[in-house]
Amino acid sequence: MRVNPNPLPDLLAALGNNQQLINTDTQELASGLRINVPSDNPAGAAELVQNAAQTSTDDQFLRSIGSIQAELQTSDSALNSVTTLLQRAITLGTEGSSSTVNASDRLALAAEAQGIQSQLVGLANLSYQGKYVFAGTATEAPPYALSAASPSGVTYAGNSGVNSVTVGEGFSVQTNLPGSELFSNPSNDVFQAVEDLITNLQSGDVAGISVAVGEVTSASSYIDAQRVFYGNTLNQLGAQQTFLNSATTQLAQQENTIGGADLPAVITNLESAQVSRQATLEALAQTQQTNLFNYIK
Amino acid sequence: MSSLNASLAIALSGLSADQGALEATTNNVANVNTPGYAREVPVLVTNAPDVIDGLTLGTGVSLQSIESIRDPILESQIQQETQTQGQAGALVSALSEAQVNFTSSTSDIGTAISNFFNSINQLSADPADLSTRQGVLTAAGNLATAFNVASNNLTTQHSSLNASVAQTVNQINQLTGQIAQLNAQITSVASGGQGAGTLVDQRTQLIDQLSSLVDVSVIPSDNTLTLTTANGTALVAGSESFALSTQPDSSGTQQIYAQGLNITSTIVSGQLGGLLQARDRQIPGLENQLDTLAAGLANAVNTVQTSGYDLNGNPTGSTSLNGNPQTQVYLFNPPPASVTGAASGLSVAITDPGLIAASSDGTAGSNGNAEALYALNGQGIIAGQSPTSYYSGIVSNVGNATANASAEQSASAATLQQLNDQRAAVSGVSLDEEAANLTKFQQAYAASAEVISTINDMMQAVIAMKSS
Repeated sequence: MRVNPNPLPDLLAALGNNQQLINTDTQELASGLRINVPSDNPAGAAELVQNAAQTSTDDQFLRSIGSIQAELQTSDSALNSVTTLLQRAITLGTEGSSSTVNASDRLALAAEAQGIQSQLVGLANLSYQGKYVFAGTATEAPPYALSAASPSGVTYAGNSGVNSVTVGEGFSVQTNLPGSELFSNPSNDVFQAVEDLITNLQSGDVAGISVAVGEVTSASSYIDAQRVFYGNTLNQLGAQQTFLNSATTQLAQQENTIGGADLPAVITNLESAQVSRQATLEALAQTQQTNLFNYIK
Repeated sequence: MSSLNASLAIALSGLSADQGALEATTNNVANVNTPGYAREVPVLVTNAPDVIDGLTLGTGVSLQSIESIRDPILESQIQQETQTQGQAGALVSALSEAQVNFTSSTSDIGTAISNFFNSINQLSADPADLSTRQGVLTAAGNLATAFNVASNNLTTQHSSLNASVAQTVNQINQLTGQIAQLNAQITSVASGGQGAGTLVDQRTQLIDQLSSLVDVSVIPSDNTLTLTTANGTALVAGSESFALSTQPDSSGTQQIYAQGLNITSTIVSGQLGGLLQARDRQIPGLENQLDTLAAGLANAVNTVQTSGYDLNGNPTGSTSLNGNPQTQVYLFNPPPASVTGAASGLSVAITDPGLIAASSDGTAGSNGNAEALYALNGQGIIAGQSPTSYYSGIVSNVGNATANASAEQSASAATLQQLNDQRAAVSGVSLDEEAANLTKFQQAYAASAEVISTINDMMQAVIAMKSS
């Protein structure tokens, strides 16, 4: 059989293939990625798109959780101050209901209770980063104002709206309790209780004072009970944070498994491609240096 | 009766035959590196013998012809594989360029979609905050830009493919013209009784080039040949060539005509086939998927956007404000109903961040509508898939198409290389062989010359006999 007398094109093609391998390996090494364009691994590239979207979504959930946590903690500590103030009001009421105090003492106690009332209004008008957290969804304006005309001594300009924010796939948390539920709940109206205390202290109605003390006590335990909402939500957010952090780590591992370059393999491939290129070059240098013409004289 | 003169004639025939054979060898050596050259072999035949008085006497040798060695079946296999190679090559280069638009980066469409929905989640946690609202508008703008850039790149590519189609048709016409000319020359040389080997070599070379451009079928006949495209449209018939022409249709897309007939859809192979496949199928397919995604997303976002309230408590879906008619407040300018052009034309409709409808009850602090906007992220709003899923489908499509075309290209390159090897084995010039032939013919020539010299001596002897 006659053989191809000119193997040069074959050797050149082999050199080209070698160069292609070296280029691919070098690109993988430089980028640290096995998938640099979709055609490197179409299914993998599609998975990477989903993976990147999931990672970015989880990062956003973590950021949202961070800001919700700060807001809830601020609200919760304001409620803590509210119960402290209510405790002081109870002390004032108990003192005022005693038969040993006189009318002018009661007026002084009433004055202090009025101070408490305005401090309570201040706390109920708590604003976090410009939004009034106890105003329902009417967060643009302070919800409470002192008003002598109102039976409870205050007016509520907020609404009963609540917001929920998505912080995970199919998982959202309620992020606020409106003042209408917290402070102006018809069955446990904090401001009504304090107003009753003030009125009775001023009028010196001992029996009335005792009833008012009862109302304030009940309001105080109601606020305490409402703080469970904040504790629970903060716990849920903490758990979700832990979950998202581990999910993010897992996604990063997955991303590396799908798209990361297997460095030892790439380096080995690169070396073998280089060796093979060297061998081809040697072969090229050897071929066709001589032919029969060199020997026939 | 034999004669010395007859012997002299035989020796002379040897001399001239060897000289001719030597010429073939010399031509082979000279053309060792000529592309498409097929080695020539001298065809030596014994002359018809004389039968005289019952004796059969040889009358020497003659050089009947110089034949070019080639294998027609191999040639046609090479032409076919060259067509596949041309088609895959054109497709690979078009798709490799297209897939860059879908390669993950900090500004690709997938990232922009995620960032857009992330900004809405941020808004949901703080619905009345102006800087957060501005963040949504910025992310929406980036999303629109990502769609615009990818779509415009594809459009540019589409029109450069369109220009390539016209250029390729020009090249085809030049080649068919040259082949027709060669056909005429070959016919006239062959009818003069001469071998047309080198002209045939040139023609083979041109047909190879033509094969890389378009799918051709070669129908050989005595000394000439007919070339047609795969569906039978004549390109060359003997000494006549038929030029293809291009004409833009109403959308500016170049259509290919042969003798007044539109043959665009029948061309499937060669570079032209690859270009048409990329121009008419792959790139428009990607453009259409981008448009579907852009339109689906924009429409879904607008629907939710117009069911809420802006920062000032105005309903964004209302068609009248304070008794005055107004248009609904969209987030994205509504895409065309036909979907075509949605990606290249996607833009944000509002500049005032306060107009984003985050509120579901009219109060500034409500985030109900922002949550509804965010929920679109996971809903099957584009052909039953979520935006990210649909986009990842596009990535996988373009990746698969490119990977397939490039696998086809490598496979066809390997086959072509092997076929070329085989062709070289049949037709290639081996210098070793030529050196051996050179020696062989040289020695035969020297021997014939020696015979002549001997006959001359014998003649002298005969002449001397008479004179003595």
